Amino acid sequence: MTPQELSVRNKQEVGGEEPTRAGRTYLPDVDIAETTDSLWLWADMPGVDEQSIEVNLADGVLSIAGRVSLQEYENLSPVYTEYNIGNYARRFSVSNDIDVDKIKARMANGVLELELPKAATAKPRRIEVAVS
Amino acid sequence: MALLRFSSAVDPVSGLLALQRELERRLESPLGLDLGVSGRGVFPAVNIFSDNTGYVARLEVPGVAPDHIRIESQGRTLTISGTREVPTPAGGGFHRRERGSGEFSRSLQLPEDLEPGRAEASYKHGILTIRIPKREEAKPRQITVQAA
Repeated sequence: MTPQELSVRNKQEVGGEEPTRAGRTYLPDVDIAETTDSLWLWADMPGVDEQSIEVNLADGVLSIAGRVSLQEYENLSPVYTEYNIGNYARRFSVSNDIDVDKIKARMANGVLELELPKAATAKPRRIEVAVS
Repeated sequence: MALLRFSSAVDPVSGLLALQRELERRLESPLGLDLGVSGRGVFPAVNIFSDNTGYVARLEVPGVAPDHIRIESQGRTLTISGTREVPTPAGGGFHRRERGSGEFSRSLQLPEDLEPGRAEASYKHGILTIRIPKREEAKPRQITVQAA
């Protein structure tokens, strides 16, 4: 990869149904990759700890959500701001059959990592051609 | 200048909205703080707050381990640099790639009454917090009235 200056994408607010709680919710930036055994997802959620994450997979829809803590902002007065602070939420439709019981979630340095192992039936199988 | 005095213990919900509105007001009308050559849109995004001890800069650096971040002070300038790596699974292909990777560097030029040389940094859940104290002579002092 050629060296390139990293840039920041402005946070996008979640559209569609509004949450019942007041406050803006943002879409986390994600990477999604697929290997033969699993789907992998990484989501940038700075300010979210491992206790404030929710991951759900139901009816082929994967939803991730994270809540930020406000404690560290008490008694501070903003001077210059480039980003807003809010909870994160995003949904994806997943076409693969996932083994829900084996989903692994890990939170490190404000990034959620999900490993979604494919169900045995969804893995590619090589079909031997019988020689007659 | 509005001071954010909300207590998250009492009402975390309206506290969030109050903070978001306050930050939004600033987003629309940036003050004349000189951030050197690099400005908005450069990674990492920074918010700067003040309290009675000095300034607090908060940068979003998700996925960057604290030992991959370097902070240097020279005169009035504070430079934050490092590398962000994003994992690539062996033998896999990407469906979506929205997270950037690579080297970053960003300089903040601070007002005269701060001491970047005495700044302290901490890292938590992908957010880097740098506290830059005011110079002693710039701190508010209470002056006692002597009885004649």
